[in-house]
Amino acid sequence: MANSATATPAVTTQPAKSLPLQILALVPGILLLLVVGYAGKYIEQSITAYKVAHHAVLPNIEYVLWAILIGLIISNTVGLASIFKPGVATYEFWLKAGIVLLGARFLIKDVLQLGGKSLVLVLIEIVFSLVFMTLLGRVFNLKPKLTTLLAVGSSICGVSAIIATQGAIDADEEDSSYAIAAILALGAISLFTFPVIGAHLHLSDKAYGLWAGLGVDNTAEATAAGALYSDAAGKVAVIAKSCRNALIGFIVLGYAVYWASKGQADRVGNKAAFLWNKFPKFVLGFLLISWLASTTFFTKGQVLALGNLSRWAFLLTFAGVGLRTNLRELGKQGFRPFLVGAIGEIVIAILTLGLVIGASHYFNL
Amino acid sequence: MSAPKRRISPDTWAVLLALVAALLVRIGTINKVPW
Repeated sequence: MANSATATPAVTTQPAKSLPLQILALVPGILLLLVVGYAGKYIEQSITAYKVAHHAVLPNIEYVLWAILIGLIISNTVGLASIFKPGVATYEFWLKAGIVLLGARFLIKDVLQLGGKSLVLVLIEIVFSLVFMTLLGRVFNLKPKLTTLLAVGSSICGVSAIIATQGAIDADEEDSSYAIAAILALGAISLFTFPVIGAHLHLSDKAYGLWAGLGVDNTAEATAAGALYSDAAGKVAVIAKSCRNALIGFIVLGYAVYWASKGQADRVGNKAAFLWNKFPKFVLGFLLISWLASTTFFTKGQVLALGNLSRWAFLLTFAGVGLRTNLRELGKQGFRPFLVGAIGEIVIAILTLGLVIGASHYFNL
Repeated sequence: MSAPKRRISPDTWAVLLALVAALLVRIGTINKVPW
């Protein structure tokens, strides 16, 4: 969501919009998300109905892919009119709400068990990614702060981590937009490559979901890449990705302290407050709902209703992933940051795939 | 100088919205959600 209201002292002369006007400005874009997402769902249902009626053999393509494709077509042909942009930008809002509600479809003991396994793999992935991306940035002679942003973006959680780190280390906006563009472009590619590779390797839903959660950077793309494989894989991808997200504060704090020690960023005062500010609150919401669903707080029917609400929230998210991806705009960004990101992503994807296959062997995923 | 007003982040609003929705389902205001 747009957070321009929290920015530095106003440079513009335009008066700030009142809250009702700001909310009203979101309506067209949210409606567009709903229309695109629902169109994806309608196409999936129509194909399924056709298959049943005509005993036809057609590939089972989930609404997730249709919604993303429709969004991509709109954004890369006619483009997104400015009236829709504020509302389309809420797709991350729906993602977070959807993840919290998804907690109802998990027993807390399963979350903790899977989360524990994921956390071990996440720690290995983060350490490797940070070191590898830093070395790669040096080899390609990228600016040190741009390298930091790319390292954080590819090791933790894409755009959110880059934005959080940019503020903490006083990086240039230009560096930040390069890093975001690289991560978004690579996330779009992952959406179409991960499910194909997973199917080719006959990965189980759990193993694939874990891989998508570990290997795809942006939370929306990781959730979509998981859901494209299967509903069960989508759920596992969310847990693995949330484990990565939960560590964002520690990594950003580490970089903030490092750049401050070099006199190139402000010193961090209260570290506990810093960590709390950066901690993704939706992880706590997800755990709370999962815990409540594991007790008798909700009936079975209510758990089903919450699961479906989560699906509707994700439907808006997936439509937003397509609508906000403008391939021409991404192509205008720097080539070297993209190349560093691409090499890093491929190596990290191979490493995490190896980790997941190893974990599958030992933990029977 | 007065302390800057603390704003609730969009992420926190998303969590609050989801919790309110869960509460509405729990108390029966929202009964069925079709998919």
